[in-house]
Amino acid sequence: MSMTQGAPLLERGAATQAVAEQRRQSKRRDGRPGRPGRDAGRGRGKGSSKTMFLLIAPFLVLMFLFSYLPLAGWATAFFDYKPALGLGGSEFVGWQWFSMLVSSPTQVQQIGQVMANTLAMSFLGIATSLLPVFFAMLLNEIRAPWFRNAVQTLTTLPNFISWVLVYMIAFSLFSTSGLVNSVLHDWGLITVPLKFLDTDQNVWLTMLLWSLWKGLGWGAIMYLAAITSIDPALYESARIDGAGRFQIMRYITFPQLMPTYVVLLVLSIANMLNNGMEQFYVFQNAFNKEYIQVLDLYVYNIGITGNSLSMATALGMLKSVISVLLLITANAIAKRARGTSII
Amino acid sequence: MNFRRSVAVMVAPLLGVLTLTACTTAAGEDDKTPVSLDQDWSAAEPITIDVYDGLANYMGIQGGWFGKIVKDKFNMELNVLAPNVAGGGDTLYNTRVAGGDLGDLIVVDKGEQMDELIEGGLLLDSSRYYDSMKNVAPYDAAVDHLNEGKDGVYGFPTSVSSLKPTEPSEGIDPTFGPYLRWDLYADAGYPEIGTLEDLLPVLKTMQDAHPKAENGQPAYAISLFKDWDGNMMVTAKQPACLYGFDEMGFVLAKADGSEYQSIVDSDSEYVRALKFYFDANQMGLVDPESTTQNYDTMFSKYQNGQVLLSWWPWLGQSAYNTDQNMADGKGFELVPMQDQQIFSYGAEVYGGKQFLGIGSGAEDPARIAAFIDWLYSPEGVLANSSQTMGSSGPEGLTWETGDDGEPVLTEFGTKAFLEGGADVPAEWGGGAYQDGVSALNVNTVLPIDENPATGFPYSYKYWPSYQEATANPLTEDWAAHMGDAKSTMEYLQTNDQVIVAPGSSYAAPADTSEIEAIRSQVKASIIEHSWKMVFAKDQAEFDALLAKMQETVEGLGYATVLEFDMANAKAQNEARVEVASTFQ
Repeated sequence: MSMTQGAPLLERGAATQAVAEQRRQSKRRDGRPGRPGRDAGRGRGKGSSKTMFLLIAPFLVLMFLFSYLPLAGWATAFFDYKPALGLGGSEFVGWQWFSMLVSSPTQVQQIGQVMANTLAMSFLGIATSLLPVFFAMLLNEIRAPWFRNAVQTLTTLPNFISWVLVYMIAFSLFSTSGLVNSVLHDWGLITVPLKFLDTDQNVWLTMLLWSLWKGLGWGAIMYLAAITSIDPALYESARIDGAGRFQIMRYITFPQLMPTYVVLLVLSIANMLNNGMEQFYVFQNAFNKEYIQVLDLYVYNIGITGNSLSMATALGMLKSVISVLLLITANAIAKRARGTSII
Repeated sequence: MNFRRSVAVMVAPLLGVLTLTACTTAAGEDDKTPVSLDQDWSAAEPITIDVYDGLANYMGIQGGWFGKIVKDKFNMELNVLAPNVAGGGDTLYNTRVAGGDLGDLIVVDKGEQMDELIEGGLLLDSSRYYDSMKNVAPYDAAVDHLNEGKDGVYGFPTSVSSLKPTEPSEGIDPTFGPYLRWDLYADAGYPEIGTLEDLLPVLKTMQDAHPKAENGQPAYAISLFKDWDGNMMVTAKQPACLYGFDEMGFVLAKADGSEYQSIVDSDSEYVRALKFYFDANQMGLVDPESTTQNYDTMFSKYQNGQVLLSWWPWLGQSAYNTDQNMADGKGFELVPMQDQQIFSYGAEVYGGKQFLGIGSGAEDPARIAAFIDWLYSPEGVLANSSQTMGSSGPEGLTWETGDDGEPVLTEFGTKAFLEGGADVPAEWGGGAYQDGVSALNVNTVLPIDENPATGFPYSYKYWPSYQEATANPLTEDWAAHMGDAKSTMEYLQTNDQVIVAPGSSYAAPADTSEIEAIRSQVKASIIEHSWKMVFAKDQAEFDALLAKMQETVEGLGYATVLEFDMANAKAQNEARVEVASTFQ
């Protein structure tokens, strides 16, 4: 994978590179040598490609073991798999599971609802993916380091809390006898407990808020790192030109973060169907199931809860196929819009 | 890119090969020469065996007094693997079975699971040990029935009984019943209850009179939970059992085979129960936490007296009827609902739903066979039976034979069973009595059966000495209003309010995978809609949800599964009729 900077930023990017190059040169003049070994290696040409291959071989093996080998499990989708009998002892059924998935309008409608949930949650996630950028930029503007660090730590922490614990927090706050309902009740504002968790109202929105609460600080880390690598010369010149704080944010920081943002965006589009299942698994109940069941959770509910392993595999395969299609589409769009491909 | 492609080319054929290397180990035990089990196992090498137990609620090494008995007798430790504890449905079973080794001692369902384990070569043919298993011998008919059509002895039946199949397997309390807080029912003036719906005003009166439990928390007439929801919402199935129905998939079948209902039909007992809960909720009788709580939370509410209705004696009574509460006249007792016809499981002459088997990978199958045999001996039955069925424990520790030959609880036994627990003396293994009970949680012989050694049932709960010792204001008041009945079952039988389904040990054939796939979606939809119906805003929403449920399940292929279940329900009835006439 390679990534060059986009067309609108090309000029500034080139200038930055020129400055950086100049610095490297000046450092060398201070007596530090470049890296002769590496330069020499590059010049050796064809003879070294075997060594190079050996160097990446371990990663290829890992890649094979963890990304390609499990694909063998797809065979399950064409059998009536019973664990006790093994794949060899199970009956071969061909495309039966795939045709079952589309066998009746209700079935199709159910998968349609699941897809709608999946895409809706993903689009909401993508729509809010700029929030960590702004958060990082604003955090970066805080002068007092202790305060900045405190905020950063506190907002990053939720990322390390598992969804199970998040649900426990949600439960103790929002269940019918939870903190919020008891307080409202004690103040005489309500007589019947409000249903926050066991309702089919605003499921997508509440799920989005939970994942934002959990992921905002963590998402900002990447951008904070990117901010530190922005060339200070850009800020200096902007300041000399009389730019104010918000102008610097608007014209320097924000555009400089865009390349990082775009890469993450394209990856998240390819990942659109993978919105995970832990969050939805812990929050699901009979009341919100219709809107909370995303593809991964649906596969789990059918395969593990419902014990239809083969059918779940067939569903999972469809998911991979759609993901690949989405990735190709996203890549094509990126290629057209920015002139470079990411894969 | 080119490189990637060439890797793909190299990899593709490999995938194919790997696909086929799924694992099955053949049993390969062709040697059928009988092996004698008659030896002193305590001198054998110490071993630890894996016990895969679908009934166990404890996972880990069996310790305490039961662990010590097994260790002393067989020099063996039991490492219990409990799918109930591991969670995630059949995950543990599937993973272990796919790995080719379920356990050394296996307790799973007969029927589908047994068949596939035999076919997959995971169960050992125990024929060579069977001749030597003296304690199982009296139940030979049940063993034969279980292994019918199989080329060997692969399993041993559980809950076997020498009672007639038409006699209830429950001795004192039925499995189901309308159990109310008797003290509050008494305060309400023992109102008459004609039918199910008449419970609502009674419960309303009771809840209004006692809005808070002793701990200051609000009390509700009804509290529901979702953990056991299977083919349907489990708490909504229970009222159907009061009218003689039990489930067979999506069918509610009457014990005497006179009626079969599809649960989603608008006039089914299941929908009637949903309506009952809906009305209760409209009247403010349903605990609002029902939707999110689990069984444990609900159970502790019963313990605290926050719930007033229980469909099961083993829920309400076991949680709330402590000695202290009963001495105060408080507790759950069955109320006389005039039109009830409570479903009762007849004694299973051919054994219960599960079976015991030896894993094909067992290191020392002979010792496990000897252990299984011991579990059927009076000593084994007394020590091993499940606690909920009133396991008496080992003679000398919890009970002894009295002067007139009648078994009585010892001081220790009284403390352990009736006064909330006791510490086991060191020579019996130490620790709390409760922590040392058998984690297997499986009854080889029905605890109501007569112990040949004493002439009284295995379970202490049926001993006259126990019943005398436990008389209290609550049971006295109950008996006074129930025609001086000695037990709930006796009351129901005298009033013809119980209907026994003969114990045929019928096991439904396995779902084909197509039916299983449809069923898993249909039941998810039924459960989802059922809960929504109970908590619907108004009657219109309730009706709309019912219609939506019927439409959705129909679209998912409900009819196919129903046909299958209906055929099974009828086959089950035939088996019941047959067994009833065989053992007349």
